[in-house]
Amino acid sequence: MPHSANPYLPAIGTVQEIIQETPGIKTFRVTLNEPGAMEGFEFKPGQVGQLSVFGSGESTFVINSPPTRKEFLQFSVMRVGEVTTALHGLKVGDQLGVRAPLGNWFPFEEMKGKDIVFIGGGIGMAPLRTLLLYMLDNREDYGDISIIYGARSPQDLCYTYEFEEWRSLGANLTLTVDHEFPDWDGRVGFVPSVLAEEAPSPYNTVAVTCGPPIMIKFVLKGLKELEFEDEQIITTLEKRMKCGIGLCGRCNIGTHYVCVDGPVFSYAELQRLPAEL
Amino acid sequence: MDELKQALKEEVPELDCLMAWGQGFDPLHATPLFIRDAGEVDQVIWNPLCVQNLATYLPGLKGKRVGVLVKGCDSRSVVELLQEKLINRDEVTVFGLPCSGVLDLKKLAARMPEDFGMVREVDLQEDKLVITTAKQTHTFDKQELLPTKCLTCQYPNPVIADRVFGETKSPVEPAEGRYFDLEALEERSLPERLEYWKRELDRCIRCYACRNACPLCVCRDHCIAETREPSWLRQEDTVREKLMFQMIHAMHLAGRCTECGECERVCPMDIPVLTFKRKLNKDLLELFRYEAGVDETAVPPLMTFQVDEENINERGW
Amino acid sequence: MGEIRFLSEDKLRQWLEELSRDCSVWAPVKEDEAVVFRLFDSTKELSLERQPTAPPKEALFPKSETMLLYRYQKDPEDPGKQSLELKERQPVGRQIVFGARPCGARGFTIFDPVFEEGAYHDPYYQVRREKTSFVTLTCTTPENSCFCHWVGSSPSDPAGSDVLLTPVEGGYALEAVTEKGAQLLDSDLLVEGEAKRQEAEAVKQGASEALGQAPDLSDVPERLFELFEDLDFWERMSAKCISCGACTYLCPTCYCFNISDEPSGLAGKRVRSWDNCMSYLFTLEGSGHNPRPTKAHRLRNRVGHKFSYYPELHQGIFACCGCGRCIKSCPVCVDIREIVMSAKEHADAS
Repeated sequence: MPHSANPYLPAIGTVQEIIQETPGIKTFRVTLNEPGAMEGFEFKPGQVGQLSVFGSGESTFVINSPPTRKEFLQFSVMRVGEVTTALHGLKVGDQLGVRAPLGNWFPFEEMKGKDIVFIGGGIGMAPLRTLLLYMLDNREDYGDISIIYGARSPQDLCYTYEFEEWRSLGANLTLTVDHEFPDWDGRVGFVPSVLAEEAPSPYNTVAVTCGPPIMIKFVLKGLKELEFEDEQIITTLEKRMKCGIGLCGRCNIGTHYVCVDGPVFSYAELQRLPAEL
Repeated sequence: MDELKQALKEEVPELDCLMAWGQGFDPLHATPLFIRDAGEVDQVIWNPLCVQNLATYLPGLKGKRVGVLVKGCDSRSVVELLQEKLINRDEVTVFGLPCSGVLDLKKLAARMPEDFGMVREVDLQEDKLVITTAKQTHTFDKQELLPTKCLTCQYPNPVIADRVFGETKSPVEPAEGRYFDLEALEERSLPERLEYWKRELDRCIRCYACRNACPLCVCRDHCIAETREPSWLRQEDTVREKLMFQMIHAMHLAGRCTECGECERVCPMDIPVLTFKRKLNKDLLELFRYEAGVDETAVPPLMTFQVDEENINERGW
Repeated sequence: MGEIRFLSEDKLRQWLEELSRDCSVWAPVKEDEAVVFRLFDSTKELSLERQPTAPPKEALFPKSETMLLYRYQKDPEDPGKQSLELKERQPVGRQIVFGARPCGARGFTIFDPVFEEGAYHDPYYQVRREKTSFVTLTCTTPENSCFCHWVGSSPSDPAGSDVLLTPVEGGYALEAVTEKGAQLLDSDLLVEGEAKRQEAEAVKQGASEALGQAPDLSDVPERLFELFEDLDFWERMSAKCISCGACTYLCPTCYCFNISDEPSGLAGKRVRSWDNCMSYLFTLEGSGHNPRPTKAHRLRNRVGHKFSYYPELHQGIFACCGCGRCIKSCPVCVDIREIVMSAKEHADAS
């Protein structure tokens, strides 16, 4: 959606499909109502949208479908508060507000020709998915694509129905859960430990990570130990947001507004900003 | 004053922090000081400009050894906080200062509107105040400048203190009665009172200074005025929301408010919000013969239950 | 100064009445001891002797405003299905803000780069800005809390104003600052005022001189950045702060806002309202994490924004007009001048 004359006015969309990823996370597949809006909708992987349930409010979510697959816009929502609870109450066919695309995007152009390592935890896989699928849909432009994806338990993994597709399109997928579970015969271990075991080489590689703050902290540490340069590490941040357009003064880290200068940041950029995550 | 400073210098090393008053941004204003070092004690002042109730910082400093200077009214806040177990007695060292009244800066501003902001020198005498500004010199009677709480002060001497500095003072018994300031409103009909409050609250900016300055509003970070789940108040700027907040605030303080007057003093828009609390306190005095912040062991009447209330005739006989 | 017109004191009300015919005029009036901007009408007495308690911020940035209306409608054939309708609300009507001081008008020059010149434009602010003129009163004597000269302003700063009024013998000397302002001076009540030029200049000069020398704040943005990790410094600076919103809401340059939905059944409003970064709730995330959990963190952000982040993004301009309201209206007299100077000196010492 191009910059509307009124950036606060959402477009109206319809919920086409809802997938219960985990007990607390639902994925919504949404189309914009206005004729021609979906065809005209342009965005880049990493950009976000503000979803409105009027009466409750708006909240920010990454558009986790890629621009190469525009039958719908996909958003994954974890239920934590007022707006997310209202979103979880929606049914297929319900109307909602969409203000998108907002924010910056992953530097997918600069990442061409490199090997990519995705490191995700829980719902952190959502922003990674948009870039992952974009890259898999443009497979020749990128080198090896590996994914380390972990969650607390097998029930907390999202997009389980897609893992085969990711593998078949040319990604190496390593899944892990925090502890042993009866029906799980895959990897066991926290994501940072699995990262250390897999020990990807930093040579011509970019690491993209997203997950709970504590996971990000240890993953960053782990990547530095593996000798990744600051510029080779990309992450996407979350903050409480309201306007989403850099005005209301809430989501800033020093001079940078996460809604406009982010949410995608390289570790190098983060190092130059005050430590206020 | 010297005795006070000497005592403070001796006590400071035993404390994590000592709260007192120091000179503020101009000769008319005092400001809270947070002293960690005996050397800083020389900045302490004690005079009728020391209006802030330092007890308001105590709940936030629970767990630390703190010293606090209190006037009579402030000491009642300390007792109330102890009563509600929001602070620990063994962590707080109370320096009590008997007080014969502070200055109401808003009353002063009304008497010198042109140059209130340009004060160069203040000479505080026994009964008079001589103020020199960039434009002229004024002399005022101290009595004219006392706030309502001082004109009706029942507790000029601290009700709790580890050390006391200064002569004992006598309570004030205004001829018109302790709650004389409420008469003007009480005489008006309900619609007239509503008109009055609509006019006063219209300029409220919802800064919540009244709430945050109150020593007893410890739930300020989770206040119903701003919560969304559930949403009690709208964020729209209407008298309806603002009056609702004042009602809820007064009700939450009923039986707890010690009339330190900070809520009204801090209001940047000069809205007489203390009136609500004083009215409720008047009712509490009549109904339950109870005053907050005087007896640490007392149970507030609204936190207990009597099958037969002495002053409430429920059954019509 | 360009052309000077003169308005005699006894014609002031008449002039305001004349201006009120075509648009709303905001003017400072006294309510108890507070001076606030209200819509002018002849029954109200103007209060011009002191800086108004509240700045004229509401004229362009109301305390709350409805941005849009929404309505869900259930399909009578199929109640499980609903449609959604949105309607924008736009501000209307021309306005004149009369009687603000230069600091109050200057405040909006801080809003402009953010609300009008960034990647996204705020239409609500923009419409009001276009439709509003500022007829500003210059100051004759500074108050103890005034420090406009610290931040590049002055008691007669024309920035943000359309007309400047300087008090002179018998009335006011008026000068147009902008084209919009020149049009406002087209009235029979105003006479030629060249004779008042020297006096007006002297008043302005006197006011500036009374302020004295300003310290050099050009190194402050850097100093504040260096002090970011020094939480002990910020704890000391914020010890007496009670985390209310008085400083923020009365500040002519503070523009943080909240957006909330206020429902009434199936319909309702999306409202923009003032918010303040001194509140705990401001940055509280749904997960429970709060990047600014204590008042030390929040004061660091407020002072940092005004004297470090904003200047870095906007050619060194401080997001502060030096009006001193934050100092005067603070319940405990937190003095931002003290904090800025402490930052300067602290860094020098280390």
